[in-house]
Amino acid sequence: MDNIYLPYLATIEDIYEEAPDVRTFKLVFKDEKVRETFSFKTGQFGLYSVFGAGESTFCIASSPTHRGYIQCTFRKSGRVTGGLSDLGIGDTMGFRGPYGNWFPIDEWKGKNLVFIAGGIGLPPVRSVIWNCLDRRKDFGDITIVYGAKSVADLVYKNELSHWSEMSDIKLVQTVDPGGETPDWKGKIGFVPTVLEQATPSPKDAIAITCGPPIMIKFVLQALNKLGFSDEQVYTTLENKMKCGVGKCGRCNVGDIYICKEGPVYTAAEVKRMYNDF
Amino acid sequence: MANKLLKKENIGKLIEALNNEGSVFVAPTNPTSIPPLKKGDTGGFVVYAPVAKAEEIMFDYIIPRNSFKEFLFPQTEPIAAFTIGKEGVDMKGVEVNPKETVIFGSRPCDAASVASLRAVFNWDFKDEFYNRREDKAVVMTVACTKADDSCFCTTVNLTPDTPNGSDILLRETTDGYYAVEAITDKGKKFIERFANIFSSKPQAPSLQPIADVKPIAGIDVKKIKEWLKDTKHYENPLWQELARKCIGCGACTFACPTCHCFDIVDEGSAYEGERIKNWDACQFEFFTLHTSGYNPRDTQYKRWRNRFMCKFNFYPSKFSSRGCVGCGRCIRVCPVRLDITEVMEEISKL
Repeated sequence: MDNIYLPYLATIEDIYEEAPDVRTFKLVFKDEKVRETFSFKTGQFGLYSVFGAGESTFCIASSPTHRGYIQCTFRKSGRVTGGLSDLGIGDTMGFRGPYGNWFPIDEWKGKNLVFIAGGIGLPPVRSVIWNCLDRRKDFGDITIVYGAKSVADLVYKNELSHWSEMSDIKLVQTVDPGGETPDWKGKIGFVPTVLEQATPSPKDAIAITCGPPIMIKFVLQALNKLGFSDEQVYTTLENKMKCGVGKCGRCNVGDIYICKEGPVYTAAEVKRMYNDF
Repeated sequence: MANKLLKKENIGKLIEALNNEGSVFVAPTNPTSIPPLKKGDTGGFVVYAPVAKAEEIMFDYIIPRNSFKEFLFPQTEPIAAFTIGKEGVDMKGVEVNPKETVIFGSRPCDAASVASLRAVFNWDFKDEFYNRREDKAVVMTVACTKADDSCFCTTVNLTPDTPNGSDILLRETTDGYYAVEAITDKGKKFIERFANIFSSKPQAPSLQPIADVKPIAGIDVKKIKEWLKDTKHYENPLWQELARKCIGCGACTFACPTCHCFDIVDEGSAYEGERIKNWDACQFEFFTLHTSGYNPRDTQYKRWRNRFMCKFNFYPSKFSSRGCVGCGRCIRVCPVRLDITEVMEEISKL
């Protein structure tokens, strides 16, 4: 019987400590056929499960250009993420997906890209960043504005330092006031403010943003001030989901089921939605 | 086919024949034997439940307290089973091979809700747990000859003898029979299968009059939908006012024949267990609560608004089906008497 709720089994091949209570798992599907045929597009998500604890929804944090594995990054905070945190390298977990729509990066050829992320909002954006970096010639300037509460809370520290050394990326890092350390060399300030100061040009540009809802709200305002139209701005709406396949009824924003029609939207689309998020 | 009849006395034979074949016979019954509070009041204590013999069936009822959705979409249902042992971790899907389930004495409103459930469980991804159960269900509806103050099927453009969703529609006669009408192929085959129980009668039966349910004058469902579709009305202060008394118990959603929301949870020991689909309700605070603590529907009126929108806007626009069949259960079970038709009236006035 076709069972849309049955996950693939995957082995945790590696674990990376990103920040306090934030980890990245590298997952390899157990079934050889799934391993060979599995593909996804950047921005899609999945349901990750710990047997006995349940399922949680996260984006796929790795790039689709990196075949053979997927990555997810999560913060330990609830029952499922607590269960995930108890797992180690070699352990088995479940994955259902990929679900949802994706960032239309093929439509962005020749554009300048501005990535804006806050805290644990970087993982979905990171998938797009790597996807674009793997086809670097297709795009113009790449700017990344990333901030977290504190220096410790910045995720993907190795990659941030890697990106900061790349000559064809402009990386602006920031931490909230009070979150800096004595040797912090980045900015101090909230992401929307730092974004405005970085003055990315809206000309031939696309902005991609993800972070806490309050950050997204002010980032959209900052982008408008900088001259970006709502059609130039993409975000991913990650509501609570249980089924991921348009049945369980909780991720809807008005009449839009985020799991099926989203999670990726332009700011213009978001503004047309019911104010339900 | 038009002249087929089912004698009420023969229902026992039908139950016996079905039970012998391993089928389940669900009918309005009173499993608790609680006597009615007042004479003639039976409706409140009748539920759809499996019965083994005709004596258990309540024939004098308005509408069962539950809808029969639990026989198509169980309140709790394992979807997969897992084991965690030395040999590793495994998870296998649960196969459902439901028995044929005859739902006798369905009301037309309940039958009409089947298409709504089918729609949500089948747009794009197909939920075979639901489909297999619905495929094996035979809905034998009895047209209503009585209604109560909470019934409002005609307000949402159904009738007490609407055939939508029924496989067989029965109309009570004045002399202890049901006039039988096959609505679907499934219903037709069912009648043919039990040809010895469904009798033929040459003369037209004398039917009992259908319940007189008057549409609520101030309600215009089309207008409500149009009003809801305008996203700026989402912020109307009326929502807070109308839904203020809601205490978020979720009873309306559990009683509702079209509410379909569910949760998926794991239950079991450290070594084995099941992944289970459970009914859930958009009226609960945790339903939409993010891990971060953020909740897009952080107050009760937002949750109530969502349910109303789902019924009168999302279901019709998204699934081209009914979100509300006018069964009135949400009105009957509401502990604070938040009457959905009063809200419909208020919005129709705008």
